[in-house]
Amino acid sequence: MSRVVVKTEGIAKIVPTAEGQLTILEGIDLEINAGESVAIVGASGSGKTTLLGILAGLDMPSSGSAWLGGVEITALDEEKRAKVRGEQVGFVFQTFQLLGSLTALENVMLPGELRGESGAEKDARDLLEKVGLAERFAHYPRQLSGGEQQRVAIARAFASRPNVLFADEPTGNLDSSTGHKVIELLFNLNKEYATTLILVTHDDRLAERCDRTIVLDAGRIVS
Amino acid sequence: MTPAMVLRLAWRDWRGGELGLLVIALMVAVGTVTAVSLFVDRLQQALLSESSTFLAADRYIGGSQEIPVEFRAAASERDIEMADTMSFPSMVFASDDRSQLVSVKAVSPGYPLRGVLRTADEPFTRGEPTTQLPQQGEVWLDSRLFPALGLSLGDRVEVGVAAFTVSRVLTQEPDRGGSMYDLGPRLLMRVEDVPATEVVQPGSRISYRLLLRGDDDALSELKDSLELKPCCWWRGIRESSPAIGSALARAESFLLLGGLLGVLLAGVAVALSANRYARRHYDHVGVLKTLGATPNQILFGYLLLLTVVGAVAAAFGLLIGAGLHLALVAILQSMIPVELPAPTMRPLALGAVTGMICVLAFALPPLLHLKNVSPMRVIRRDLGSAPPSQVLSYGAAIVGSLGLLIWYSGSLFLTFWTLVGTLSALLLFGLLANLLLRGGRVLGMQAGSGWRLALAGLQRRRRENTAQILIFGLAIMLLLILLLLRTALLDEWRNQVPDNAPNHFAMNITPDDVAEIGLMLDANAREQGGLYPMIRGRTVAVNGIDAKDWEEQHRPQRGEGPRLSSSRNLTWASEMPGENKLVAGDWWQPGDTRSMVSLEDDYAEDLGLSIGDVMTFDIAGQRVEAEVTNLRRLDWESMRPNFFIIFSPGALESFPATYMTSFYLEADQKRFLNELLGRFPTITVIEVDALIAQVKSIIDRVTQAVELVLGLVLASGCLVLIASIQASKDGRMSEHALIRTLGGSRKLITGSLAVEFATLGLFAGAVAVVGAEITVAILETQVFDLGVSFHPWLWLFGPLIGALIIFVVGMAGTRSLISSPPIMVLRGLN
Repeated sequence: MSRVVVKTEGIAKIVPTAEGQLTILEGIDLEINAGESVAIVGASGSGKTTLLGILAGLDMPSSGSAWLGGVEITALDEEKRAKVRGEQVGFVFQTFQLLGSLTALENVMLPGELRGESGAEKDARDLLEKVGLAERFAHYPRQLSGGEQQRVAIARAFASRPNVLFADEPTGNLDSSTGHKVIELLFNLNKEYATTLILVTHDDRLAERCDRTIVLDAGRIVS
Repeated sequence: MTPAMVLRLAWRDWRGGELGLLVIALMVAVGTVTAVSLFVDRLQQALLSESSTFLAADRYIGGSQEIPVEFRAAASERDIEMADTMSFPSMVFASDDRSQLVSVKAVSPGYPLRGVLRTADEPFTRGEPTTQLPQQGEVWLDSRLFPALGLSLGDRVEVGVAAFTVSRVLTQEPDRGGSMYDLGPRLLMRVEDVPATEVVQPGSRISYRLLLRGDDDALSELKDSLELKPCCWWRGIRESSPAIGSALARAESFLLLGGLLGVLLAGVAVALSANRYARRHYDHVGVLKTLGATPNQILFGYLLLLTVVGAVAAAFGLLIGAGLHLALVAILQSMIPVELPAPTMRPLALGAVTGMICVLAFALPPLLHLKNVSPMRVIRRDLGSAPPSQVLSYGAAIVGSLGLLIWYSGSLFLTFWTLVGTLSALLLFGLLANLLLRGGRVLGMQAGSGWRLALAGLQRRRRENTAQILIFGLAIMLLLILLLLRTALLDEWRNQVPDNAPNHFAMNITPDDVAEIGLMLDANAREQGGLYPMIRGRTVAVNGIDAKDWEEQHRPQRGEGPRLSSSRNLTWASEMPGENKLVAGDWWQPGDTRSMVSLEDDYAEDLGLSIGDVMTFDIAGQRVEAEVTNLRRLDWESMRPNFFIIFSPGALESFPATYMTSFYLEADQKRFLNELLGRFPTITVIEVDALIAQVKSIIDRVTQAVELVLGLVLASGCLVLIASIQASKDGRMSEHALIRTLGGSRKLITGSLAVEFATLGLFAGAVAVVGAEITVAILETQVFDLGVSFHPWLWLFGPLIGALIIFVVGMAGTRSLISSPPIMVLRGLN
């Protein structure tokens, strides 16, 4: 029987606005198994990104509970959530989010360094070679194309050897051919590292590659 | 985050220019303080040591009896140099039986401990400096004694029962200042010769001084260790020469205030650049957090980063400050005739601690906030960038500024007023800036596109712009305050000793000689002052209580301030002298024949005298009663005759009086004194030209220091302007890149930026003028004891200069914004 790595019970997110309370998410119950790839889709404003944030322990729900790798992250403070993220989670973002003042290699070394690992540099070199950027170690993000930046970001995401990889519109900022290559890379590495992949996307092709699709509408899971 | 990571981030941020402004602002804060305090420290030491020449020593112990030997032992234990002086009035006789009352000063080897004696071969010349003293058996005489007694060098004179050879003309002695009325013509002799004269008898009026020279700590330690009262009193320059003391105190206040404002300005620059740095790192922190960095790791990382940056900036700031101060010394060396003593360590410590306070109070709060940035920010830009805690930011800045203010000024009073001034200015400025921005928008609706764009921008970012006007306004206000105070202080100082101020006083003029002396002065002297009657007398009782008992009751501790029962010069006048100011009671009406006196304010307060008290005087053996009817304030710094006690006309008319007058002589006219004193041997002429020259040289020196500080503060002010423009650059940049993408020309952007900056500057200038006028009025009256002055020209030039400065600094600071391709900005790569 597969192990559940991500689970939520009755998650709701309500934020105060000038017009009153705005419900972004309501009654979200889900379970995602280890090794599964899941796409969260839905129209703009349906609550996809908010859900991703809560699942990854970046944000807190207004009510309900979420578990990540067996730990109830909604019961933890930010200090402990950060530790869980560091141990269990990798991220790929639409806007790449590389640190502009660090080289490609240094960006990939970051997760290992944050955990105080001594072999961070070697792992980072291996990963950059895997994503085809062996020649680009010393380049700064501004010297890389969008596709290359996203490949560095993917290498960085896997550098922490995560159980779960979260991706937020990973191809949203790329042309379709580059986007396609990045998707290939993401799924290949996902398979190689046996990672659970949870991604938010508008891209149907990308959603189709996943084992399961969760559709959100107005903050509720509709299928 | 490991230290290595933090250092790498810091290094990359520095290379990428992210940390540049913060580091520079910190360096300027530390550098300004270090340079100002190093220079001021050395200049103050030099000023003090030069001023010490007024005492011929650093301090002295005075007494009317011989200074106890145990005092000498205590001083010599502390390696303090000593010399003795004894001063007393005595008659001196020439061989042809001509005689003259002189003021004898007997000195021991070593005198003077500060300053120099000047002597000459003939009277009324400037003479040469000398390190010698009269040999035993010899005396040196004041110029005016030569015509008065018909003497030449080598002649013999008698003092008491001893005879001495006149070996030199004494033209200048450092400690001649003090009270000019007690100065008879000087006879300088050796202390060892005094017993032979037999003039010192029990009950003789002799003033003993033990002159001291040594370092400040040793002197203060000595002062604390001695049981001075009741025989003796301790004196330094401030107590002995109120005119110099008060000029020094004002200069110190000004220098401190200047240095302080410089630091506060740099502090604002630090806060602004730290804020910008923090804002630009929100994304950084968001990413680090998603990668597992805990809030504590973030906090530790940025604390470490700030420590490293602060330490490096402080180290360089100290070096820059030391270098700058050396450069200043080199530039001003030719103008500073005295040798500057080696600096103390205090300025360096001051610089380092100031750097630390700037880091803690101004730079830390925005960086502390970074740990609270939500990691959600990386996927939702609108989240996770809640502003830093305002209580923390403003609280830390206020506490830091307060700490610096109190530490620097050492005065709660000055701190309180500066704080009240700043807070009310902020409130007032905020309201005013908001109003101006609204007004600008209304005008902008009718203007061309560049103007409309600029004024709409100003209005849209009203909060930021209000803040920016506040900062610009504050910086310009501080500069204006310094400029106005400097002008007021310098004018005041210069007016204090006008070029043609009388530099000679003639006393002991009999009523018969008044007319003829008046004619001689008219013919030979440039300016002649008023004529004052003078009568010696002393207070013997107040309200029927014996003067000594009265003094005992009202001022138990002796030795401070003028004594009630001392013999004084009294005068009378129908009109109040010009430089006096009535502070209580009424001046007498013409025709009022009652016997009344007017007292100097501090004198009355010290001795517990008030309006309505009846004072009894002993004048030439007769008792005169007079009622105190008013109190006056005097300008002690003026080189004019000042009287503690002035009678109403009629009260003293029956007593024989002599007159005094004052006149101005150029250096080359001084031989006229020979003629004057030859013709009227009984009058006494006091030369204060040397004293005036000394005061002027001190004032000049202080002026240089004041101007120097002003220059440094100006530099800090410009830094704040640059920091403030940098801080708003990111917002402006993306907006203008967007406009250019939409087809806006470079000219349109340049024009709208120019209008925006000029308008901001205009508003800031207007706001600054209001603040500066109010603050200067308060400082002038409350701190510097000057009169209030308003400056109509400022209302025109303030806003114009504001517009010009912000325009120039703003356009220079945003050059890259106009020249870089919009795509760079939109991609966030610039």
